[in-house]
Amino acid sequence: MQFRLEKRREPSKLMTYLTPVAAVVLTMVVGAVIFSAIGYDGIGAVREIFLTPLTNSFKWQDLGVKAAPLIIIGVGLSIAYRANVWNIGAEGQYVMGGLAATGVALATYTMTGWWILPLMFVAGMLGGAAYAAIPALLKTRLNVNEILTSLMLTYASVQLIYYLVRAPWKDPMGMGFPQTRRFAADALLPNIIPTTIVHAGVPIAIIVALIAWFVMSRSVFGYQMKVVGAAPHAARYGGFSENKTIWLAMLVSGGLAGMAGMLEVAGPFQRMVPGFPTNYGFTAIIVAFLGRLNPLGVIFAGIVMAITFVGGEVAQTTIGLSSSATGVFQAMMLFFLLAGDILIRYRIKRVVPVVEARA
Amino acid sequence: MTPELLVAIIVTVVGASTPILIAALGELIVEKSGVLNLGVEGMMLVGAITAFVIVFVTGNHYLAILLAAAAGVATSLIFGFLTLSLSANQTATGLALTIFGTGFSALAGQGYSARPVTLLGPLFPAEIATHPMWRVLFGYSALVYFALIMVVAVWFFLKRTRAGLILRAVGENDLSAHSIGYSVIGVRYLAVMFGGAMAGIAGACFPLLLTPQWAERMTAGRGWIAVALVVFASWKPFRLLAGAYLFGLVVTMELYAKAGGGPLSAIPSELWAALPYLATVVVLVLISIRRDASTNAPACLGKPFLPAN
Repeated sequence: MQFRLEKRREPSKLMTYLTPVAAVVLTMVVGAVIFSAIGYDGIGAVREIFLTPLTNSFKWQDLGVKAAPLIIIGVGLSIAYRANVWNIGAEGQYVMGGLAATGVALATYTMTGWWILPLMFVAGMLGGAAYAAIPALLKTRLNVNEILTSLMLTYASVQLIYYLVRAPWKDPMGMGFPQTRRFAADALLPNIIPTTIVHAGVPIAIIVALIAWFVMSRSVFGYQMKVVGAAPHAARYGGFSENKTIWLAMLVSGGLAGMAGMLEVAGPFQRMVPGFPTNYGFTAIIVAFLGRLNPLGVIFAGIVMAITFVGGEVAQTTIGLSSSATGVFQAMMLFFLLAGDILIRYRIKRVVPVVEARA
Repeated sequence: MTPELLVAIIVTVVGASTPILIAALGELIVEKSGVLNLGVEGMMLVGAITAFVIVFVTGNHYLAILLAAAAGVATSLIFGFLTLSLSANQTATGLALTIFGTGFSALAGQGYSARPVTLLGPLFPAEIATHPMWRVLFGYSALVYFALIMVVAVWFFLKRTRAGLILRAVGENDLSAHSIGYSVIGVRYLAVMFGGAMAGIAGACFPLLLTPQWAERMTAGRGWIAVALVVFASWKPFRLLAGAYLFGLVVTMELYAKAGGGPLSAIPSELWAALPYLATVVVLVLISIRRDASTNAPACLGKPFLPAN
């Protein structure tokens, strides 16, 4: 029996939504086989990484807290990627958002007031957007590849944290540790569910995704992003400026990454530390793709990815699996997803061997 | 500046630039065939951990380099299968490959950190390189000479051989190359595998040539700098050599600043550490001000090959 690929007349809607689910399932199956083959407890690893975070209700709060930044950054990236703008420096924009918010928190350290958190929120978004503006400027003015510039700036931003927490922003009472002081009470995100670690960033993430979904599916802005990404020539003909789209895509994705940075530093971290960059910006790339570049899909993808993070920590304590196994599972998921993309545009057809007619 | 110091600086510059040069030469061939593989960093990390484990277990440096190349090829085949056989998005697949390589190398390297190995020694016997001046020419390990030979080899292959011509044709106009009977996908598979081998060897440079140990993410973005260098060099091997050495100079300045003393240490060490990345951005800007930069890119770069059956 032979198979061949036949082009579909239209991209398959069913496959668009089915392939991400299939990718997750395949990752669990193949992951279990591969990890067993190289000498780990493969089934145990899959159970702890993918199922324990769901079955153990104590882990649900961790899921929300981990999913929130992934969803916020993933929504921004999905908008940018829709427009064919490849911002992969979200990690750096997240860092700059966190640093900008930290700057506000430290400057207002001796003050009190309800306005401090909103100010940090705005500063975080501006910090991230400003950092994303550099690749946007270079791309629109000089046609410099935004993939490389946004990524290089990420490496530079991490060094900026190291410098700031070692010298000018160092906690004077910190016994020499390179970190800032713990933020004052008015600069910390409130917990929204008592006795848990769930902070205001969790509902904000859902709201951001819903707003983005509405804007992308119902507004001219969303239409412009999609048209420029899918059909640049038609977009130019239709009067949409490509440069303006690049700017919007970069500023929105950078601003959202900066927002996530602010929520993290004012939430779970409570101060700026050298370990602040936790790869949310890179993982959010997978989240955006797994969510099919659709803000609603990104919510689910963010939760799936949060499950693997929380589960990775579980597996570390229960079966001694390195937390880096999580990265392997996440990459595998993206591989399967990308491989499955072909089913959206093609269908698999069975080829019936042609029997020669005899006279 | 004493001659000894000058020699020490030159030797450090050459060492620091070698992995970037090797990886960039591989990526240059990949891109010349019309494929953009952004997974260089991931393939380098797979090469680095492979080389480290092999040299830790067997003590044989050359076997380590060979198997690092093989590991790089194996990793590149994931990319090749997805982008060439299944025509998946090259940008996304390359990113996925880097995420994979980072996770895989960290997993495989678990328990190996802070365990020392020995560096690969100089290729030529020490008697030749007694005088410091001779060290500049004969004091390096085989990896350094390999990188230099490959610059010439890649140039010769592209400009002077029939196979190089076919590779360029596939990268410039895949449909024409296909219609006169060349296997576009086959050529691209070979190019991607070559890129994987070179990235694997480039990764091997980290534990064998630079720091004799394993550390997670020890390639520290050098793979991405290699990708940037290919653009900087306008897809020309000898410009790649110049770019890599320029980059090695920046890294060396950082090392001397960290070692302390002299005017370099007046600047915060973090700025020095950020300098290679900032310099890469500046270099990309400078190159795009010049007109010929983007026009020299292979015409089919990053586009999947979709013949109309």
